[in-house]
Amino acid sequence: MTYRSLFALIRRELLIWVRSPTGIISSLIFPMMYLALFGQALNLGKLLNVAGPPSAALARAAFLGAPDYFSYFSVGMVGFVALTASLFLGAQLIFDKRLGYVKRTIVAPIPRMSIFGGRLIAGAIRPLFLGGVVFGLALIFAHVSGLSGLTVNGHLTILGVGEIIVALLLVSLSFTAIFLAVGFLLESPQSYFGIVNILNLPLLFTSNAMYPQTIMPGWLQTVSMYNPVSMAVNVMRENLFAPGFYPHPAEFYLGELALYAFGIGILTFIIARRGLSAR
Amino acid sequence: MSDAVVVEQLEKTFPGGVRAVDGVSFAVREGEAFGFLGPNGAGKTTTVSLLTTLLRPTGGRALVDGIDVVADPGTVRRRIGLVFQESTAEDELTGRENLEISAALYGVSRSDAQKRIRDLLERMQLVEAAGRLVKTYSGGMRRRLELAAGILHRPKVLFLDEPTLGLDPQGRAGLWEYVREIRKESGTTIFVTTHYLDEADQLCDRVAIIDHGKIVAAGTPAELKEKIGGDVVTLVPTDGTADLTPVLARVPGVLQVQKQDGGYRLKCLRGESVVPAAVEACFTAHIAVASVALKKPSLDEVFLEFTGRAFREDEGPSATDTALRMNQFRQRKR
Ligand SMILES: Nc1ncnc2c1ncn2[C@@H]1O[C@H](COP(=O)(O)OP(=O)(O)OP(=O)(O)O)[C@@H](O)[C@H]1O
Ligand SMILES: [Mg+2]
Repeated sequence: MTYRSLFALIRRELLIWVRSPTGIISSLIFPMMYLALFGQALNLGKLLNVAGPPSAALARAAFLGAPDYFSYFSVGMVGFVALTASLFLGAQLIFDKRLGYVKRTIVAPIPRMSIFGGRLIAGAIRPLFLGGVVFGLALIFAHVSGLSGLTVNGHLTILGVGEIIVALLLVSLSFTAIFLAVGFLLESPQSYFGIVNILNLPLLFTSNAMYPQTIMPGWLQTVSMYNPVSMAVNVMRENLFAPGFYPHPAEFYLGELALYAFGIGILTFIIARRGLSAR
Repeated sequence: MSDAVVVEQLEKTFPGGVRAVDGVSFAVREGEAFGFLGPNGAGKTTTVSLLTTLLRPTGGRALVDGIDVVADPGTVRRRIGLVFQESTAEDELTGRENLEISAALYGVSRSDAQKRIRDLLERMQLVEAAGRLVKTYSGGMRRRLELAAGILHRPKVLFLDEPTLGLDPQGRAGLWEYVREIRKESGTTIFVTTHYLDEADQLCDRVAIIDHGKIVAAGTPAELKEKIGGDVVTLVPTDGTADLTPVLARVPGVLQVQKQDGGYRLKCLRGESVVPAAVEACFTAHIAVASVALKKPSLDEVFLEFTGRAFREDEGPSATDTALRMNQFRQRKR
C-alpha cells in the first residue's frame, strides 16, 4: 500500500515535469551553453602543442584516456546536468509549499518517507533523461563539421553502460536530496536561490567535470576527490575512454558514490522529516 | 451518542507569539454538521489545522473519532477528509488525475476508485472537464473537484475550511447541496468554517462563534437567536409629534418599545402578527403609518451581539431580513 502512494507521488511529479517544457529547457540550457559555446572555444588540446595538433598519446595522457579535450569535457557535462536538473526541485518544493500542494500530501495517511521519496525518486529520474540528451548531442557534434564532439575510444561493455547509468542516478539522488532538504527548510524562493547560487558554481569548479584533476593545485585536488560530481564523472570516463589512467577501477568510484549518496540520503531524510512534521 | 470531535482547552501559540487559539473547548457529535464561525483572523483555520494534524497544539487536547491528534496522527489522517481554504488541486494535472492520486494516497482500491471517481465526477458535474488541466477550471469547478477529492475515501469526519469562499451565490448554493447530500447518504460528520452566517444557519445543527481565538457563543442557531431576544418591528409614523409609546405597548406580543429617530423599535415575539396589529392600533388612534419593517434575528445579529462587531459590514441586509414596505396605509388615510 505504501508503494502505491509512492508511485502515485512519483507519477504526479513526472507528469508535471513532462507538461512544463520550460522546466526541461531551463535545466538543459546551462549544459547546452557549455557544450555548444564554452567547450568549443576552450580547446585545451590546442595548448598542448602550439606547433600543430597534439599526438594521440600526448592527448590521452593529458585527458586521462580521452582522445581530445572536448570528449573529456562533454562527459563532465553529463555529470553536471545532474546538478543543474536538481537545482529547480527545491524551488519547486517551496512554491508547492506556498500553494498548499504539500499540505495535501502531509494530511494524507501515508508514510512521511513517501512524501520525501516521491520527490526524490522522480527528481533522480529526470537527469537520466537530460544526461542522455547531453550525451547524445555531444556524440552528434562529432559528426558536424566545424564543431568538436565526443569520441568514445574505450571498450564500452554492457556492464559499463549499467555503471554509467547507476553513477548518474546516484549523483542525481545526492543532489536532489540536498536541494530538497534545503527546500524543506526554507520558506522563500529568494533565500533558496541565494543558497543555490552559492553552491552551484563551486560544485562545478571543484569537480573534474571541466578539467583534469591532474592540473589542479594539491588542495583543489583533495576537494575535488570528495565532490560527487567527480566520482560520477570518473565512473563514466573510465568506461568510455582508453584504460589505465586512473588509480582505481570504475567500481571503486561507484562504491564511493553509493556510500556518499546513502549518507546524504539519511541526513536529508532526517531534515525533511523535521520539515514535514507538525509544528 | 458518541462524539466525533472532542476539543478540550485547545491552545496554539505560534513561534512569533500570536495566540491564534486560546483555550477552546467544544464537542461535535457523530453525524452532526457543526459550523465554526468567526471573522478574518479569528483562529478558524488554525483550529482546523490542529484537528487535522497539520499543526501541533501548544496546550490542551483534541480527539477526532476518539483518537488523540498528537498521540496518533496517522490514524486520525486515515479517518478524516479535508477541503482547504485555499485551492490545493494540482494545476498541471487533469481533474481525473488529481482524483486518481488522491485515491492512491488514501488507499482506495483501484476498482473502487474507478467507480467512485466516475460517480463523483458526475455528481459534481465535472464529467466533461475531467480530462482538462485544473488550471483551466473556474473557481467553482475547482471547489467541486476539491470536495470530491475530500470525500473520495469516505472519511468519518469531513473538515471544510470556508468551502464556498469566492463562489457566487449559485455556486455556493450548489456546493451546500452537495454537502447536504453527502451527509444524508453517508452520515459523515461535518465540521465547516464559514463567513456566511445565513448558510451556516441552514446547514448546521450547531454552531460556535470564535473571535480572537476564544469561543464567544455556541449552540443551535435557534438557541443563539433566542439568546439575543426575539423579532424586531420598526414602525415609522408620518407625523412624529404624538407619543405612540402607550398605544404600541398595548399591542399583543410586544415586549418593549423604544423611540428611535422619529420611529419606534418594538422588541416582540412572533413579529408577523405584531405588524398588522400595530398598524391597526395606529389606525384606530388616527395616526398615519409611513412604513413598517419586520426583522427576524439572524446569526449576523447574534455575531454582532457577542463580538461587538458586524460580521460583514460591507454587505447588504442578510437573506433572512424581511422588510415590508406598507405605503398603502398612508394612501388609505388620505
Ligand atoms: N503560521 C503562522 N504563524 C504566525 N501566526 C499565524 C500563523 N498562521 C496564522 N497566524 C495568526 O493566527 C491568527 C488566526 O489565523 P487563522 O488563519 O486561524 O484565522 P481564520 O479564522 O482562519 O481567518 P480567515 O477567515 O481570514 O481565514 C491570525 O492572527 C494569524 O495572523
Ligand atoms: Mg482561515
